[in-house]
Amino acid sequence: MILYSCMPEEIVFEGWDRELERPTEVTINGLLMEVQPVSPQEAKIVRLISPDPQQYLNPAYAPGQIIMYTPNFIQNG
Amino acid sequence: MANNPTSEQEPQEVPEEKRRNPVLDNIQQLGQTNTPSGESNIYCMTIIGQVEGHLVLPPQNKTTKYEHLIPQLVAAEQNSKIEGMLIILNTVGGDVEAGLAIAEMIASISKPTVTLVLGGGHSIGVPIAVSADFSFIAETATMTIHPIRLNGLIIGVPQTFEYLEKMQERVIRFVTRHSRVNEQVFKDLMFKTGELTRDIGTTVIGNDAVKHGLIDSVGGIGEALRELNRRIEENRVAQNGFAVPVGGVPS
Repeated sequence: MILYSCMPEEIVFEGWDRELERPTEVTINGLLMEVQPVSPQEAKIVRLISPDPQQYLNPAYAPGQIIMYTPNFIQNG
Repeated sequence: MANNPTSEQEPQEVPEEKRRNPVLDNIQQLGQTNTPSGESNIYCMTIIGQVEGHLVLPPQNKTTKYEHLIPQLVAAEQNSKIEGMLIILNTVGGDVEAGLAIAEMIASISKPTVTLVLGGGHSIGVPIAVSADFSFIAETATMTIHPIRLNGLIIGVPQTFEYLEKMQERVIRFVTRHSRVNEQVFKDLMFKTGELTRDIGTTVIGNDAVKHGLIDSVGGIGEALRELNRRIEENRVAQNGFAVPVGGVPS
């Protein structure tokens, strides 16, 4: 991989050797979003990943909102 | 916020319990109200932070993931309700392969595409910024044009440098093919010394990007949407032989 970025490499790769918490991706009503779990059934929206600009106007999915979700392993099981 | 844990453990069996939860209620209601009338005929793709490729970057990076964008672009090309695409950039660059793949996909989309550089469109953001039919840059937005650096495990043999030059050639060729910039001008910008503190290269701001021929025009979201709508209208006339009012033909 070649990184072509104006950001210094040491900043980009900082913490690569540490286990840091990452937001998880969930799809709710067909809308893909990145969430930070706050409890087993609740998660806080970090950001939406949608190309439909209208979705961003929906106050229920604004970043910082708490959503109810069922983690994948429960949904599938 | 009220949360009843028993309702979550067995969500299928106790629907009445679920209804008591205002958030779930909201999601269900809003999910239903997302009828086609509220759908946009424009696909809006935002490319922010680092363009992430084959390697997952540490979580302090805000990234735009290749695996999200590629299927979105395929869907936009295929979906008949989508009539145009707006690509908004505020990126510091990223993976060469991923960036060029996204740029090539935007360039080959048959629907009208407009890019808008807001804030910054640096490094690998440059080929993405020039890939659309028409490009805009905000007056204060910047683009850093600099050589590709080697990173990762490097063996000090001449082939390494040949490889690097090839990678650089891919970027230069793409940019010169999709914008009005002359190859020599672009290379001069890329290898200029004395302008960047940590690197060689140039930072071009708003008007300068237009002057060098990299970007088509200076403008913001208003200009970008106006241009995209104009192109969508042109496309409709070309396809149907007559103008169709904005919003499409009622089906």
